[in-house]
Amino acid sequence: MSVSPRRLRAGALALATLAIISTTACTAGGGGGNANGGAATTLTVNTSFVLKTLDPGRVYEATGLTAVHALYDTLVTFEGSDVGTPVPALAESYEASADATTFTFKLRSGVTFSDGSPLTADDVVFSLNRLKNIKGSPAVTVSELSVSKTDDSTVVVTSATPNPNVPVVLAMPSTGVINAKVAQENGAKDGEDAAQGDTAQQYLDTNSIGSGPYVLKSYDPSAQVVLEANPNYWGDKPQFDRVVLRNMDVQTQKLTMQRAEAAEISLDISGKLLDGLPESLQTSGVQDTVYFLFLNADPAVSAVTSNAKFNQALRAAIDYQGIAALYGEGAAPGAGLVAPAFPGTLPEGEASTRDVAKAKALLAEAGLDNPTVTFNYPAITYKGVDLGTVATKVQGDAAEAGITLELNPQPLTTFLDEMRGGKSPLGFTPQSLNYPVADSLINNMAPGQATALRSGWTVQRADPAVVAAGEQVTETLDLAARATAMQEWQRLMNQSSPYIVLASNSSTVVATADLTGADYSAAGWQVDVAAVGRR
Amino acid sequence: MTMIAPDPVAGDPKVDRALTRRRWLGRLRGGPTSRPVWRQPIAAAALTILGGWLLVALFAPLIAPYDPLAQSADGYASPSAAHWFGTDSLGRDILSRVIYGARLSIPLALAIVSLALLIGGLLGLVAGYVGRFADEALMRLTDLVFAFPQIILAMAVTAAFGPNTRNAVLALVIVSWPVYARVIRSAVLSMRGDDYLSAARLLGVGPVRALRRDVLPNSIGPAIVLATLELGNAVLLLAALSFLGLGPRPPAAEWGSMVALGSQDLSMWWVSVFPGLAILTVVMAFNVLGDALRDRLDPRYAKGR
Repeated sequence: MSVSPRRLRAGALALATLAIISTTACTAGGGGGNANGGAATTLTVNTSFVLKTLDPGRVYEATGLTAVHALYDTLVTFEGSDVGTPVPALAESYEASADATTFTFKLRSGVTFSDGSPLTADDVVFSLNRLKNIKGSPAVTVSELSVSKTDDSTVVVTSATPNPNVPVVLAMPSTGVINAKVAQENGAKDGEDAAQGDTAQQYLDTNSIGSGPYVLKSYDPSAQVVLEANPNYWGDKPQFDRVVLRNMDVQTQKLTMQRAEAAEISLDISGKLLDGLPESLQTSGVQDTVYFLFLNADPAVSAVTSNAKFNQALRAAIDYQGIAALYGEGAAPGAGLVAPAFPGTLPEGEASTRDVAKAKALLAEAGLDNPTVTFNYPAITYKGVDLGTVATKVQGDAAEAGITLELNPQPLTTFLDEMRGGKSPLGFTPQSLNYPVADSLINNMAPGQATALRSGWTVQRADPAVVAAGEQVTETLDLAARATAMQEWQRLMNQSSPYIVLASNSSTVVATADLTGADYSAAGWQVDVAAVGRR
Repeated sequence: MTMIAPDPVAGDPKVDRALTRRRWLGRLRGGPTSRPVWRQPIAAAALTILGGWLLVALFAPLIAPYDPLAQSADGYASPSAAHWFGTDSLGRDILSRVIYGARLSIPLALAIVSLALLIGGLLGLVAGYVGRFADEALMRLTDLVFAFPQIILAMAVTAAFGPNTRNAVLALVIVSWPVYARVIRSAVLSMRGDDYLSAARLLGVGPVRALRRDVLPNSIGPAIVLATLELGNAVLLLAALSFLGLGPRPPAAEWGSMVALGSQDLSMWWVSVFPGLAILTVVMAFNVLGDALRDRLDPRYAKGR
């Protein structure tokens, strides 16, 4: 290779000045340019696409959920930002049996699909059976459910175990009802063997066969998805005739929103990125993500992190308020594992607090002099927050109490491998719920459960009171009482579990000032585009 | 006959070494027709900048106003009297971190280049002097390394061994030694048939001594120039690895990772601009110095003076 010093120098200069130039380049760069003004009835939704399919039976990714929620109706749904009370949709009413195993849904009459054909109980049964039997990613939410019809307007859903949250599950976009006849013509199956036999995904990616307020106009998973108002919609017509979901990275979204005048929404600007947006924009967010540390309870992995006194010392060493400030607007210091968006979250005022003196005293009690622990975390930015920055803050806080954390940023896959293998002495991860029911936390994080075992937290190593409190939650069938039991469980978890909740953080819908109903929902679909209107 | 006459005091190792050193170091001071490197204004400026950075690196604890790792509640403070370069998201003083960053970047760059020069130089000498199979094998090995873009190969190596300072240095040595091997080899090849080597052999000088006494001094010049140029490149590559999260582990104050931190939110321009400027000045200085040295040592590049 000939080493041309001139070329070397040119390359060197170019690279080194990149940091400086990019600062100016970014502020000078043009935005996406919005089609407002003339096309007043188009709503533009900018988001960084996470989109694999629009097949309700397979949809699992954020962008897909936003679209599918607008294309397909579910038996019940949620309004606005609320995720606690299911409201009627295709079902005009429902009844639950006292043992929370049988749920009877009375279907609304006069509902038609977008092609004009009537929606019947058969379509509901077909759709739910297909969801369960094609065993796609969302099937896990309905694996314990079975469905049947008693007459053309009545559907009965039964759960194998008592579960008062069945209606919440049936509000999820993946339970959207598809036109069984058209679906079957295009390869859809609902039988036990549907996992192999169903070939409808390709058709459902480019055609919508639901009864929702919108129909699918075009689908390009790398660029944009266009929805148009369903002329045969049974409910109130949405105010926008067209909705365009545009794929856009988050920095461009910020620039676009800074210039947007009307009918524009962004879904990914959150945390510190919200700083510097014009005052005229409106934001809506709900804290639906918690960020927590996990300490390994297995002495074979770490004699330090498995020490109960060390666990408590680290809890006391962390500056929870300071960490919440790092997340920016819409974040709160950590309290319990259930994020504030969901029923069962700890009430305000129970956030964890810092006490360095107590941390030092606990370390002394533990007999640990300058304990050193490797601290794994994924080197990623999640919902606008660089996890490395938070980890460094934790490291600085711990250092003040005499705990040395050796930061070990890892590629996401390496981090997940080590976490799943139960090898991480101390780790840091965000957690969002797949659907707005916190019970899954107990199924995963209570002692001896799958996630807990990754931290070496077996039933034998756990405080029996925590185990009992978890069982109490799953045995409580009344939803209000269940939420209270969940709070009690979290208080006990905060005393001795391997999890230290650092902060909770919000996703944010940013909308132009002229819009109404642009509320963030933690139910999965982020924003109900059909509910968005103009002032 | 005079050509094969041995040095008057040949055999005395002290005199030997002194003569050897003069043969190539002497060129740095320049011949009668040109000025020494440090009399050229641009090179002098580069030397001054590098000297300044060396002092900063040496006396960092005395110069830095704050502990580079100390966090404060004063996050994202813009440059002010208290914090000349502002603070980052965790309230760490950027000036102090830039100063401490010199303690990582400059010594590590020196280590990378020295190791690469040592390994590449040795292999180049062997390849050029021994020739035949050794030459073929070693040169195909360098081809193999050259086949990959430097940064990609370095990334692969660090990612495989795990990101930390030692592995980043190792990776950069692995990707940069072949240049020196090539340069030294070609210099050796060009002198392989020279009379004085033949003469030395006739006088019974063994290959090791010939390499050390005759071949190395006559071929090291271009490699030294290259090393100076590569110092800048090493600083840059190290910063690039670090920018990608493959360099020294956080919270170490490293320029590349500081630029990366700032790039998350460019409205806080000071977080990435100052470490970026540090990289820029060091890399430019090394490059200018390397250019000047090359002009000095290689007549083919010399500008008419």
